[in-house]
Amino acid sequence: MKYIPKSILAILFCTGIFSSCAEKQDFDQLDDLDITPTAEASILYVETPEDLINQDSGNYFYSQTFNFDAFNEEFVADNILDGVITYELENTTSKPLDITFEFLDEAGNILDSENFMLNAAPTAILTREIAYGPAGRSLDIIRNTSAIRVSTTNLGDNTSVSSLPNPTVFLRSSAKFRILLQ
Amino acid sequence: MIKTLGLLSILLSGYMACYAQNKEVLYDFQEIPQAIMVNPGINTIYNWYAGIPFISGIYAKGATSGLTVNDIFAADGLDINQKVRDRALNSLSERDEVNGIFQVDILNGGFRSQKNPANFFSFGMYIEGYALNYWPKDLAVLAYEGNADRLGQRFDLNDLNASGQFINVLHFGINRQIKNNLTLGARIKLYSGILDIKSTNNSGYFETTLGENNLLRNTLVSDMRLRTSGLDALLDANDNGSSVAGLFTKRGLFGGDPGLGFDLGVTYNLNDQTVITGSLLDIGLLYHTSDVINYTLKGSASIEGVEIILPDALNDPNADVWEDLVNEIEELVPFEENNNNYVSFRPIKFYSSIRYNFGKQGEPVADCDCDYKPNSGDRSLYYLNSAGAQLYAINRPRGPQFALTAFYQRRFAKVLALKATYTVDKFTPTNVGLGMSLQAGPVNFYIMGDNLFSYGNIADSNYASFQLGLNIISWERN
Repeated sequence: MKYIPKSILAILFCTGIFSSCAEKQDFDQLDDLDITPTAEASILYVETPEDLINQDSGNYFYSQTFNFDAFNEEFVADNILDGVITYELENTTSKPLDITFEFLDEAGNILDSENFMLNAAPTAILTREIAYGPAGRSLDIIRNTSAIRVSTTNLGDNTSVSSLPNPTVFLRSSAKFRILLQ
Repeated sequence: MIKTLGLLSILLSGYMACYAQNKEVLYDFQEIPQAIMVNPGINTIYNWYAGIPFISGIYAKGATSGLTVNDIFAADGLDINQKVRDRALNSLSERDEVNGIFQVDILNGGFRSQKNPANFFSFGMYIEGYALNYWPKDLAVLAYEGNADRLGQRFDLNDLNASGQFINVLHFGINRQIKNNLTLGARIKLYSGILDIKSTNNSGYFETTLGENNLLRNTLVSDMRLRTSGLDALLDANDNGSSVAGLFTKRGLFGGDPGLGFDLGVTYNLNDQTVITGSLLDIGLLYHTSDVINYTLKGSASIEGVEIILPDALNDPNADVWEDLVNEIEELVPFEENNNNYVSFRPIKFYSSIRYNFGKQGEPVADCDCDYKPNSGDRSLYYLNSAGAQLYAINRPRGPQFALTAFYQRRFAKVLALKATYTVDKFTPTNVGLGMSLQAGPVNFYIMGDNLFSYGNIADSNYASFQLGLNIISWERN
């Protein structure tokens, strides 16, 4: 080592410290990064007991419009890619029922509707999935939905009572949406 | 707010430079004056030194554990989505981290007391910034894949653990040779906080389960907070086009958040050739009082969508059930903002070492012809070689981190000293570092770097740092 001048050693050292290499990096790949989580949550739950239906002397007709701004929130409306809405209807009453879900825009126009015919109990739970997006109905329905209307018509009598405990009509629903974050 | 959070994300997850802060090459490198900054009780071998302003100490370090830039951005033809999924989402844990630090000496100097040459005083001012972001594993999965088809899986909010800070530090230290074989040192630091961002000690979870009434139930239990100081003024300055540098200067020169800290150090010669050292750095805190904005999300809520239960719902047929639901959630888990002052503690660092000197050459290599007699204390400069081990620890939000270093130092007369280190820590088990101190007359130049094996492809490195500086050193009698 003593034969190597110290100045040369110092220069070699500095060169070594400052010399580094890096393989080629392609940061443009970020443009190809897709962050598209799928979120799911319940939407609407309606529970109607049979004795309420029987209180109506005619064919029981229940219709209610609910404000529902979850879908047309700016973030959801701007970034939704596709999704599925799941309906589950359970009828333990003695009446056959006609139930309709309608999606309305802010002006009250009907954007989409889904109709269900339920047999009187005992009957199986009715489940239906409706797709929205490229493989289903238009996403504009989701983007512009501001309210949901639920209408129920009693297709049976108003005196019979189901033999099942606590006879009730249950309407359950959930949404599973894929959102574009990046 | 989204803009603010976006900026925060960039700040907190940026690869600014290393919070690990282990200066294993500089530690106990007696020929370099800045070594006193990592051990105020080091044996000082010069009469006085003056760092060249702004270039006496420039230090930057970056570290990542579990993932490198190359892992994601290498031009290897692989799909980046697959790489992110395989190498980040499915591989990293909440203990993996990205962090960085930089430090720049604005002023740095030291002098030996004429009245009592056993005392050596040091002083100066430096600016420091760090950013630290633990991998928010559960939140990353939630953001990347969502909660769908993950019934019963809890996404832990504690995974969010990030902090960043810019401070200016004014310091004054005293180093005193108590006995022939014992030197003690202490330093007081006055901090001036420029910017502080911190989201630590979060708790809670987000979970999706089968609903009791409806199909699904989403539950949020949250106790989260984000504390900021100086951020709002910085954003305002940026938006208004006013001088961000001016704001930094104003807050850095004691117009920001005040703080106080201490460093302690010791060097003890077990015998003529064996020396042990130790130091505790940044035992201190800052009190954040200026431009403080804190955000909290605290509470718990479980929802199953809009629920209509007849006949009760008929009592108020015009109720806005959606707004009621939103209001209920906001009431149960309020997102709030406050301006409460807060305290932040500096990350305490601990160094210790044992050094064995050998290869005696008969006279001090750095021949200090001053009133103070270095040969009455540490006699390492009489030896050509030193070898030993160092232990480093730092207090971190998820527990202390350690690094173990073996080193060898070689001196070449008065002119040149080289130090090589081998360090094992959580970032890499093969960290080889080198440091050089070059003395040309009164001018001292030093340079050091570590994890040199990674220099072949720095983008694939988990850890890299460098430090350099220029000083004027007087070895002469006062």
